[in-house]
Amino acid sequence: MTRRELLSLLFSLGAREFGRLLPAQGAKPRSDPVFQVKPLKGVDFVLRNSPTARKYLIETMPGGVALLDYNNDGLLDIFFVNGGNVRDIMATPINFDRRNPAYWNRLYRQNPDGTFTDVTEHAGLAHAGDSNYGMGVAIGDYDNDGFPDIYLTNFGKNILYHNNGDGTFTDVTAKAGVAAGGWSVSAGFFDYDNDGRLDLFVTRYLDWSVEKSKICGSERATYCPPGSFSAITNVLYHNRGDGTFEDVSLASGIAAKKGHGLGVAFADYDGDGFTDIFVANDATDQFLFHNNGNGTFTEGGLDSGAALSESGRMPSGMGVVFQDYDNDGLPDLLVTQLPHDPYVIFHNDGRGLFSAQELEAGFGVLSGNVSGWGVGLEDFDNDGWKDAFIVQGHVFDNVETYDDSLRYREPPLLAMNRAGRFERADPGSDLPVAGRGAAFGDLNNDGWIDVVTTSLGEAPQFYFNRRGPFHWLTITLHGKRSNRDGFGARVQVNGQTRFATAAGSYLSSNDKRLHFGLGSAETADIEIRWPSGIRQALRGVKADQFIVIEESVQP
Amino acid sequence: MIQALLWLCLLLQPQSADPSVPPDALPLLQSGIDAENRGALDQAVTAFRKAADLAPSSAIVFLRLGDAYMKEHDYAAAIAPLQHAAELSPDSPAVHQLLGYALLAEGYASDAIPHLKIIHDPGALGIAQLQAGQAAEAVANLQAALAKAPDDADLLFYLSRAATALAGQSLDRLRSVDPNSARGHQALGQTDYEIKMLPEAAKQYEQAIAMRPDLPGLRLELGQVFAAGSEWAKAEEQFRGETKLQPGSAEAAYRLGNALLQQGKMKEAAEELKRSDSLRPGMPETLYALGRAAASSDPDAAEHALERVIELEKDTPLAGQAYLGLAQIHRRQGKTEQAAREMQDYRRIQALAAHPPS
Repeated sequence: MTRRELLSLLFSLGAREFGRLLPAQGAKPRSDPVFQVKPLKGVDFVLRNSPTARKYLIETMPGGVALLDYNNDGLLDIFFVNGGNVRDIMATPINFDRRNPAYWNRLYRQNPDGTFTDVTEHAGLAHAGDSNYGMGVAIGDYDNDGFPDIYLTNFGKNILYHNNGDGTFTDVTAKAGVAAGGWSVSAGFFDYDNDGRLDLFVTRYLDWSVEKSKICGSERATYCPPGSFSAITNVLYHNRGDGTFEDVSLASGIAAKKGHGLGVAFADYDGDGFTDIFVANDATDQFLFHNNGNGTFTEGGLDSGAALSESGRMPSGMGVVFQDYDNDGLPDLLVTQLPHDPYVIFHNDGRGLFSAQELEAGFGVLSGNVSGWGVGLEDFDNDGWKDAFIVQGHVFDNVETYDDSLRYREPPLLAMNRAGRFERADPGSDLPVAGRGAAFGDLNNDGWIDVVTTSLGEAPQFYFNRRGPFHWLTITLHGKRSNRDGFGARVQVNGQTRFATAAGSYLSSNDKRLHFGLGSAETADIEIRWPSGIRQALRGVKADQFIVIEESVQP
Repeated sequence: MIQALLWLCLLLQPQSADPSVPPDALPLLQSGIDAENRGALDQAVTAFRKAADLAPSSAIVFLRLGDAYMKEHDYAAAIAPLQHAAELSPDSPAVHQLLGYALLAEGYASDAIPHLKIIHDPGALGIAQLQAGQAAEAVANLQAALAKAPDDADLLFYLSRAATALAGQSLDRLRSVDPNSARGHQALGQTDYEIKMLPEAAKQYEQAIAMRPDLPGLRLELGQVFAAGSEWAKAEEQFRGETKLQPGSAEAAYRLGNALLQQGKMKEAAEELKRSDSLRPGMPETLYALGRAAASSDPDAAEHALERVIELEKDTPLAGQAYLGLAQIHRRQGKTEQAAREMQDYRRIQALAAHPPS
């Protein structure tokens, strides 16, 4: 028996044991709205994507949102990525007018009374470079100093802002060496070599520039499909631990595959103790990079069954989340995509294999004619099963003119998980928007997961959970030997499993705290496997509280 | 096809025997013929034009001039001399053929039809009738032409166009003479469906069903409208209704099975798809859907169905998808080597699709 087989066996035994604690199945759907949608006092952000008649592809792709506690006051703050000013005729060098406050990214600090204050300028985040059109955001404490840092992706050069711990940030991109270049989209921090320091993965979409831009469509101009442009590689940066990163894309094997990367999510899908990478590619095979545990990755999406939809087609993958939706202890994948095919569920069958099961999971009914972007698998009703929330809206801003069955603006999809099968529910708003980013977290610290979404040309939407009768538990990990954020840890609570990460969705970064709905259970049994390999268990933990779990120093 | 036919049956008589050609025009006429034989078409046209000036009553000279223009693909210039030739020699099939072709080539389809009728060329006549909006006549003539040349790609293409046009005309007439009949609503529903106005299409079909609930086909089409909008539960209801009306319809059974499949009702879907396969065996789409539906609940049936898809489809993309489905089943069963071989076949077909053999 190999080491991996042994770990896999132990892993599956653990899952089975916890399966006894699963909440009762077959709970009735909640008919009243799950969320109340309302504006946030103090947040005046508008995502300015600047659509033009030239149909520059970047215009329809932003922008991200992050939920982070940048000042460690226990309240989630919100960071929004803005697009930029695009003119019909763009000259080089490009100027996206990012000095203009209308095109700034924005950081809003949450005040104790639930209102927000724009601290962008004070924090040193006001200007993101005139040649950078904003896309996404990743959050992680890359230097383990206890304060979350911000990584921005752009069409142009990416930016790493170090959190100084005093409410301000410093642009350390040049020193860190993480500018990437080209068209970066989603990014995420994770620790691929378990050395206790967060590394960085950046998806890149395609080889596009103003000069290479094309207009498609015959009678009506549209944005061109990804196949009109060359595929491109993703980027992996290794954290050296001295404030600098090394581009290991080639050495790790990541750059061996070119694609049209949009979304990225992380989890250890085969239980070998090393975090793997899934890249949602647009209109090509999805990538599943298996972490070989020696600094290299092998892409095996097709042979693992995680590359193509249930119908055997290449998904136009946009957003992705890598969590366990059916409580079997193994992380599954939910990939959003364009209309005419359902959103894809890659069910983790164990032994490193997946099978596309979107129809069995109910997404054939939920998602045939819609376009999905940001996505989360979170337990919104705290019944012990992770539900799905997806922001939607077509790529083309004129799609109705040639297909009356499609919509540029769409309301979000909320689907409640009924023991592994998803059913439509009322998200509390049927307002159609051109949705893009989505971040998930407990904004008001009430134990119920909220959602913040972005939409092109509009203010963000805030979905506040209306709560219910069930219990919950929210865990903050504090790594010691592992990375400070605990990213990559597998946390099991009463038969549910979460993989610690802020990444996933589309362009966005989630509340790093791990939230568990407990149903009617008033206590929880917790088991953690840290990236360091250390295992930790807590029994009979009282429900309805926020707890911090420090990594045990004992192996 | 026009061009190919043009040069087959140009009937020309020896010019020296034609009394309408004056002696002083004969050398020019001969010079033009010689130039034409050398392929010097510009010189031929010049010579024929000079001959025509000297022989204004000679049909053969104007025919030669028109023919030279047509060989130069200058159909517009050919029309006038050929019309003059037709006035001088109204019974000459060669003149009518060239004139009919020239008019058709320039888009004067209605004007070409009388000339093409004279020469009994059903293919060219059918094309002209299609372009003149005479779809029914076009279908008849193109079918007659295809009886003699069943594999002619151009004729097949134009026949398909003519049939489509005829269907459209029939529907237009139906809509105009009885728009409020069940068939009228069905026709309107079909039009709305084709232009992707799905809610409007559904309303039309629902009105048709209300008027004639037992009319076969209505529920099948309404179900397809719902399916196009991914409203699978509604589609299932309609397809189920159709299967009650037409229990022997393999298509209704297939579509019901697919609607069940899309809703994740795998066992029910597999049963219905098996029924469809028994009604009309050997339909690759039915078998592929059956392979998908039965993959978890009845892997042997799924495997058998997917293998039959491969037998039928060989190296098409659907066969590639069938290989993928087989690999999925075999991976689950732990048959990794077999799955690996199937993935190789899948990749081979993908490569074929990306780089088809020349």
